[in-house]
Amino acid sequence: MIGWLAVPRGWLDSFGEIGRFGVRVAGLVYSGRVFKFFGEGLRQAGILIFGSALIIWAFVFILGLQCGLQGAYFNRSIGAPSLAGLFSAYCDLREGLPYAFGYILAAKVGTGIVAELGAMRISDEIDALEVMGIQPLTFLCATRLLGAWIAIPFLYLVGIGIIYAASFLSVVNQVGDVSSGGYLLIFWMYQSPPDLIFSVIKGMTMATVIVLVGCYYGYTASGGPVGVGTATAKSMVFNIVAVHIIGMLGTVVFWGANPRAPIGG
Amino acid sequence: MAGAVERGLLPVKNVFEQVGVMMILTVKTLISAVRAPYPYGEELVWQLLFVLKLSWFPLMISTFALNLGAPGLQAAGVLSLFGALDRLGGFFVVIAIRWIGPLVTAVVVAGVAGTAITADLGARKIREELDALQVLGVDPVKNLVVPRFLALMIVTALLDIFAIVFGLSAGIAAELLYNQPLGGFFATLFSNATITDLWASVLMCTMFGAIVAVVCSYKGMSASGGAAGVGRAVNQAVVISLVAVFFFQFVVSSILLATNPELQAVR
Repeated sequence: MIGWLAVPRGWLDSFGEIGRFGVRVAGLVYSGRVFKFFGEGLRQAGILIFGSALIIWAFVFILGLQCGLQGAYFNRSIGAPSLAGLFSAYCDLREGLPYAFGYILAAKVGTGIVAELGAMRISDEIDALEVMGIQPLTFLCATRLLGAWIAIPFLYLVGIGIIYAASFLSVVNQVGDVSSGGYLLIFWMYQSPPDLIFSVIKGMTMATVIVLVGCYYGYTASGGPVGVGTATAKSMVFNIVAVHIIGMLGTVVFWGANPRAPIGG
Repeated sequence: MAGAVERGLLPVKNVFEQVGVMMILTVKTLISAVRAPYPYGEELVWQLLFVLKLSWFPLMISTFALNLGAPGLQAAGVLSLFGALDRLGGFFVVIAIRWIGPLVTAVVVAGVAGTAITADLGARKIREELDALQVLGVDPVKNLVVPRFLALMIVTALLDIFAIVFGLSAGIAAELLYNQPLGGFFATLFSNATITDLWASVLMCTMFGAIVAVVCSYKGMSASGGAAGVGRAVNQAVVISLVAVFFFQFVVSSILLATNPELQAVR
């Protein structure tokens, strides 16, 4: 039976190692050594797009519906139903999309990487790669990070379109307190291109951390089939907390001092 | 031609099949939970403690961070332009109690306890322990799934209260960051909060616990294919539970908000 403080203690144990591992993998990508396996990187990007894009967008769509719904009813309760666009604009672009993206990436991509690499580690395939003279860290982890960096910005941008459409549907068509013109006026007024860039930065930071954590837990898995399962579970715990902390820090850094709203001044 | 159509519809068929099997497992679990004998008491307590010990710390950090960032600082930034920071309390009823409390509880429980359940049951399935249990005449649904199902339902309800408390304290932190007195926050919080909000939140969260438990148990008990299989089962289990929970919350909150007009009364 585990103790009450087992989870935080485990993080303290592994935090430094994950950090060092992440810096090493990111260094392999930055120094260009990964381009020896550029084809594998492209293949990983392709796997990400064909395997995960639909589920990511479906998830984002549901969160967009929820954002619009809660915003429409909240604005009714303060007596300003025509301002539902304000809530949707903030909820969709600044907070909802990065979190939805982080959750589903952690669930689909992060644990997927752990399962894949962990199985390779258990069946000694990673050692076999090393014997064949291929650096496993570059070939397995750095290519996945490169693939994520190639594919995820585009998945994210399409996700923005999808979450906007979902919020529009639930505010204008489901609740129907505000006309589509009135909704869109407020909705577009309360966002600007810098917001978009900040949101993408937030999402990409989450994606990078998720891929690196997944690679770490998969690469260091041990202990047979049980070990792979436990490593997958552990990566999910770490990723969820990391997503929330990155989300909060992003909000504090980008919008904490200046809400960037077109009011006053 | 017919073959191509059949192949194209295979994923859809798969989804329906899996949903159907999960429904069957839910009903089986419910029936064997209430029908005597009740051999699962000890395991239930063990699972309760296990989930609580795993989840409390990630949940605390997650709810605090999410509520401080998303509704706290973003909304406080806009409200401070209007000079209406006391309204943040009313906003936190919507966000912390109605929406994010149950949601983050479900995400954390799915990510922490759900993955652990799938990994545990999947490993037992791979090592053929579940088959051995059945040969011994021990029903795996009654002895393994039912305690996890009940434990997750109880724990999510408990953790939901915990999440609301930490969410509201994040709101208080946001008010303090803007150097506001807390009287206005509490005044709008208590005038906007209703009993319906609270019980809906807790009930919703209990349902989330049930969804996560059934999905994760099912995926663990149907794992196959060695080490890669267990990892894949955990992956699928957590994706399905997250999507199911988000979808379920949208449906429930649509119904709740549309059928309870007193929740949107201007106060």
